[in-house]
Amino acid sequence: MKTLILSFIAGLSVVSAQEWTEHFSFEKIPNPVGIDPQVGAMDVLADGRIAVAFHRGEVMFYDPSSSSWSLFASGLQEPLGMLVDKDGSILVMQRAELTRIKDTDGDGTADEYITVFDDFGMTGNYHEFSYGPVRDKEGNLYIVLGIASNGAPMAKEIRGEFTEIGKANREEMTSRENWKVNRGKAGRMYSRTPWRGWVLKISPDGKKMEPFASGFRSPNGIGFDAKGRLLITDNQGDWRPTSPLYDVKQGGFYGHPASLVWGKDWDGRDPLDIDAAELDKMQVPAAGFFPQGELANSPTWPVVIPDGVMPKAFAGQTLIGEMNQPTLVRVLDDEVDGIFQAGLIPMFDGAALGIGNNRIVFGKDGSMYVGKTRLSWAGESGIMKIKWKGEEFPALEKMKAVPGGFELGFTQKIDPKTLSTIKVECNTYKYHKAYGSPKVDVRVMEVKAAQLSADGRTLKLDLGGLVKGYLHGIDMSGLRSADGKGLNGKKVWYHVVKVPE
Amino acid sequence: MKLLISFTFYISALVLQAAPDGAQLFTTNCAACHMPDQKVVGPSLVEIRTLYNGKPKDFVKWCVAPQKKRADAIEMPSMVHVGEEGLLAIYAHIMKASEGLSEKVQNQKGDPFVTSPVQMNRPQVQRIFMPDAGPAAIAIALDNDSSLCWDAGECRLRYAWIGGFIDGFPYWKGNGSELAKVIGTVKYVESESPFGEMGEKKFLGYRMENGLPLLRYQIGGRDVTESFTAEAGGKGFKRKFAMGKPPTEGMEMRFPSDQSVSYASDKGTWSGSLLKLTASDAEAFTITISYK
Repeated sequence: MKTLILSFIAGLSVVSAQEWTEHFSFEKIPNPVGIDPQVGAMDVLADGRIAVAFHRGEVMFYDPSSSSWSLFASGLQEPLGMLVDKDGSILVMQRAELTRIKDTDGDGTADEYITVFDDFGMTGNYHEFSYGPVRDKEGNLYIVLGIASNGAPMAKEIRGEFTEIGKANREEMTSRENWKVNRGKAGRMYSRTPWRGWVLKISPDGKKMEPFASGFRSPNGIGFDAKGRLLITDNQGDWRPTSPLYDVKQGGFYGHPASLVWGKDWDGRDPLDIDAAELDKMQVPAAGFFPQGELANSPTWPVVIPDGVMPKAFAGQTLIGEMNQPTLVRVLDDEVDGIFQAGLIPMFDGAALGIGNNRIVFGKDGSMYVGKTRLSWAGESGIMKIKWKGEEFPALEKMKAVPGGFELGFTQKIDPKTLSTIKVECNTYKYHKAYGSPKVDVRVMEVKAAQLSADGRTLKLDLGGLVKGYLHGIDMSGLRSADGKGLNGKKVWYHVVKVPE
Repeated sequence: MKLLISFTFYISALVLQAAPDGAQLFTTNCAACHMPDQKVVGPSLVEIRTLYNGKPKDFVKWCVAPQKKRADAIEMPSMVHVGEEGLLAIYAHIMKASEGLSEKVQNQKGDPFVTSPVQMNRPQVQRIFMPDAGPAAIAIALDNDSSLCWDAGECRLRYAWIGGFIDGFPYWKGNGSELAKVIGTVKYVESESPFGEMGEKKFLGYRMENGLPLLRYQIGGRDVTESFTAEAGGKGFKRKFAMGKPPTEGMEMRFPSDQSVSYASDKGTWSGSLLKLTASDAEAFTITISYK
């Protein structure tokens, strides 16, 4: 009975909006007049203006000092990534290509639209979104290409090669009339033209391309973290039990099999015929999982928190957007034997943030800007400006898997009397072609010991061992700081890829 | 006070034992696509209530094995993992949450940004999915009357029309699953590149000059530029080509012979709809295509 009562209270874990609004201000900035304000991409110019690419292809600059907008470029198709370059030109990823837009005559608007890279296929299917670019230390660019959805057929005309691998032939894949019948054969998400579902590495001049990693579905988030890891988020769906966060390495296969057909040494099998157990052995496990409905349903772009815009403890950490829930997600880095695995914790949950949080940038004015979109899904539009009020607050700062359990580091002293409220659960998921997975084998973990360090800021949780391949959820909603405050971010989920010994 | 609190917990615990939490299950499994009073990805709770009020079994049946029902919506994934008990709890939650609500009236029909200053601008370049073209199409409004569709995937003009530009709303209202529409009448169609087989084509981008794009591409390693201007009043268009290092023996440009247009040019000689150019002609030449 007691456990039941406790888990019910845990289930409630009342999110307190006030805990965030006390420390951050939330303000919608004015939208540009007459523009569909769904935000696909953002970056910051050297002079501090915010560059924003909208759904219908406009690239506009927002000047925070005058709260005014100016038009830089237009006519792009579904820009979903942007990188402001040193020379002031802007790399924009649109559906069909990576484009460099440039103002060469200095009149404040772009006059050159240079195709940097377009050597990938398109079937004309709406779900083939293109994301990126991000740049590594050597100057190479990385883009990642979404795969098609059987919500619609292919267009009659495609760009690039068509692979015959698949249950439906080309005619069946393009017939609108018979799609109701044929779509069942297409696979829920499909990759019938090159490099859909792949990360591509492009040389600094755009001339050379290397297929870098495969297995992606709808990867609406790519970015390097402060330690140089290439992080990619993806969306729950087929072969995605819940939305994952990946640490992407060259040659890795990241779970969605449709893209495998474009691999150099692919044996010609239809990925839909391959046993899930075989694919499971091939795939690189997710570094983190966003539990559906609880933390995030559709995570977005990862960005690194710079110095000075948040409590010092957060600087250098990764922050990720989320479309469907009114929250962002902070990544707590950990590494076990060189394997990156992460704790994921909500930020601004329940506050005035709202949903549709597609892109995040940090302005030179110390504010962060969250651009929103929805396309046809749940979301919003416009841009939310968020500013820290400068006061420290109690929060989970870091998390480490240790033999037996976890070590949690807090920004402030924790009240030892509240340690007994901590609850831990873990579960795994089913990796399969069906859409999403329920939690599988949910286990309530006994907290055998909860030991606070002398300074009251480091907590060691002895759980009698961590479970490999399981998502561990730690509910800290009952924890209080020494001065009686609840934590900002009350529940953290850590995916144990590797158990430390 | 303390007593009261534990009593509340006791009750809650009993409730928990009796039935799963419909509201919580709804948040986890449904809320991303179903809003209370308006259609997002799936129908609103108000509409679900209209469909299933008093029919919990039908509701569960649908959730376990959903089908494609609406032309303008995607198929819901099966919710079989929630279990019948959970689905019934979600059902109860939806019925309760939608009680007394009515569907929010969509206050505008058509494109709310149709008068966007950016979209209204002429000339105009817009990349978007277009009918009768490859997926890397570019729509270009030359002026208020004349527009054309140029295919960056194939590096060639696809068709030209008069009477307006495009209605991009079918694409823009959602996620791009619909094509833009041509506003006006198509007057000219090319089914292949006038350059014929001169080698592999590679699109290089475009440069904006007076609001119009100077399209740049390569054919068989040769640099080509192509740009367009309207003949006033929707009478046709001029098409200016420039080529780096044309073939020394000269070349031919083959235009369609089945179109209601007349062709003229500042260089070369015509034989029907075939234009013969010397190497020096091919370095820069302008073709005028006039609608009959």
